[in-house]
Amino acid sequence: MALLTLEGIGKRYRQGEIEVQALQGVDLQVAEGDFAALVGPSGSGKTTLLNIIGGLDAPTQGSVRLNGIELTAMGEAELSDFRLFQLGFIFQAYNLVPVLSALENVELVMVLQGQHRHERRERAEHYLELVGLKAVMHRRPSALSGGQQQRVAVARALAAGPRLVLADEPTANLDSENAFALLDIMHRLSHEEKTTFIFSTHDTRVMERAERIITLRDGRLASDERHERHSA
Amino acid sequence: MSARRSHLPLPLLLMLAWRNIWRHRRRTLITLSSIGIGFGLAVLFIGIGDGSHNSMIRNAIKLGEGHLTVQPDGYQAAPANHKYLAEGQTLQTRLSALGIAGSVEPRISLQVLASTANNSVGAALEGMGAEDDPRVEMLRPQLVEGEWLEAGDHRGILIGDGMASKLKARVGSKVVLMAGKEGGDSQAHLGRVRGVFDSRVDELDDYLVLSDLRFARYFLEGEGADTASEPVTRFAIFLDDPDSMAHWKARIDTALGDNGAVVLDWQEMMPQLVQFIILDDAGNYVFLTLILIMVVFGILNTVLMSVLERTREFGLLRALGISRHHLLWLVFCESLLLSFLAVVIGWLVGGSTHLWFSHHGIDFSALMSGGTQMMGTFMDPVVYTELSRERVVQLTTIVFAATLASGIYPAIKAARVTPVEALRT
Repeated sequence: MALLTLEGIGKRYRQGEIEVQALQGVDLQVAEGDFAALVGPSGSGKTTLLNIIGGLDAPTQGSVRLNGIELTAMGEAELSDFRLFQLGFIFQAYNLVPVLSALENVELVMVLQGQHRHERRERAEHYLELVGLKAVMHRRPSALSGGQQQRVAVARALAAGPRLVLADEPTANLDSENAFALLDIMHRLSHEEKTTFIFSTHDTRVMERAERIITLRDGRLASDERHERHSA
Repeated sequence: MSARRSHLPLPLLLMLAWRNIWRHRRRTLITLSSIGIGFGLAVLFIGIGDGSHNSMIRNAIKLGEGHLTVQPDGYQAAPANHKYLAEGQTLQTRLSALGIAGSVEPRISLQVLASTANNSVGAALEGMGAEDDPRVEMLRPQLVEGEWLEAGDHRGILIGDGMASKLKARVGSKVVLMAGKEGGDSQAHLGRVRGVFDSRVDELDDYLVLSDLRFARYFLEGEGADTASEPVTRFAIFLDDPDSMAHWKARIDTALGDNGAVVLDWQEMMPQLVQFIILDDAGNYVFLTLILIMVVFGILNTVLMSVLERTREFGLLRALGISRHHLLWLVFCESLLLSFLAVVIGWLVGGSTHLWFSHHGIDFSALMSGGTQMMGTFMDPVVYTELSRERVVQLTTIVFAATLASGIYPAIKAARVTPVEALRT
């Protein structure tokens, strides 16, 4: 059974006087453990699709089911709780809460989930160690490099134990070395933790790291290919 | 789907709020300083207002009829010489039996015509008893000519400098005091001026004639009173603790029973003074309102700026699973902490200023060359700031509530953030 099922997803919105069809008839299934890249040129609908999968935006038509649960039927509060317990997010930049240290940022979602202090502290430190940042875990984001901040975001996304991690151009602001390092960490953890990753990118070097490449063009699914992952 | 709900514990909420308000340290400090100074000024001005009002009230009570007055029922509405307490001795005994913490002074107040060979003026004859009557304590130092009345002096009178000027009387002059008597006739008694005072209150200096009870009682005798029963027109009661006034008023009221006598407090005896203070307080409240507006906009500016700058961060938090009402509480909590700090700083500034001036006073004599009298009393030219516990609670509550209210709009604005739009910023 697919972890995520999209059926006939369409998204229309108004931009001033113009009506934009961001997505149209997107059907997609994502299995548990997939490490999938969502690619396509700018304006192809990658971010919109990720937002819909993450319950941050609602489609104007179609259905989104995660683990059999229909997201489009949920109210805002339900979606908020759904994101908290089922999803992990990594954004392009400004991923972290500036007034919290790296450790506190990783712990934040677990605190909101109501996890016990010792358990969440242990998990946070464990994931920060996995991304190689335990030594700097008490630093605030302003004292971390861009690459380090993205690794903290990965640790936060995974430490909370989500079913699915959505990453919107997580490497866009990183140099090649940091981008590859981040993808390697995400890939390794996806296998170790059996977590499903969908990340959007238009960087061809990054695409090479993905095991599945889903291509969007003009809001439609253009291709969906699985291939062997190239190592760095 | 699991029914698990997000949970934002108070310690995390407070920690986030505390750190958020210090993100822009300088902005927060400027806001807090302006609120603190504004609040401090409000405390000082209210303290001066209360200090001057209390000074007027204390002087009015001492110069007038005490904290509480026992007098014939109906006298306040229509004073007349025939309205007196015939059984003064009995009432005095009954009041003494209550064990009032303070002093009970018998008084005889009469409307008379004071005449000399040169002039005649309407006057209020006030017969007083004990040497330690607070009115004696107030007026004795204001004696500008002659000597104070000796106990049992049944002819001696004291007049104000205003009346002395009108009557062209001086120490040793004879003044005839005339009043009505029982049956519609008139009666007259000769008084001799023993001294002239300048109370600093024109109403007293122009109108008041002081005498011993014995002299004033001649007039009551003419009204048909039995002097053996020691008739008086009122008892002025001076309490050691003014806050106990309501307690003693109730007890005296019960003790008097249905005896033709009533007990009134100073507010009932001097309604004009109360009105004046209310009006003057209104001016202070206008000032306080201006301060509050400054405080509200200070907090609103700081919190709203902070909210607008963090739109993307709110989007991130919403994406991570923080609910709208948690965001609302977070921003509201920031306002709460700012309000708390503002009140603390305000009290540090205002409280210390008040403490200083409550001990050292502010000398307004240079500004009050025209005199400090008003409403039949006067204000001491050196004003010591006063703040009652009620005032402290009132000021704190008002400023705290106003600052909290100013955080409502930013909090609602933060809670309305839509994750998708916020993350685009």
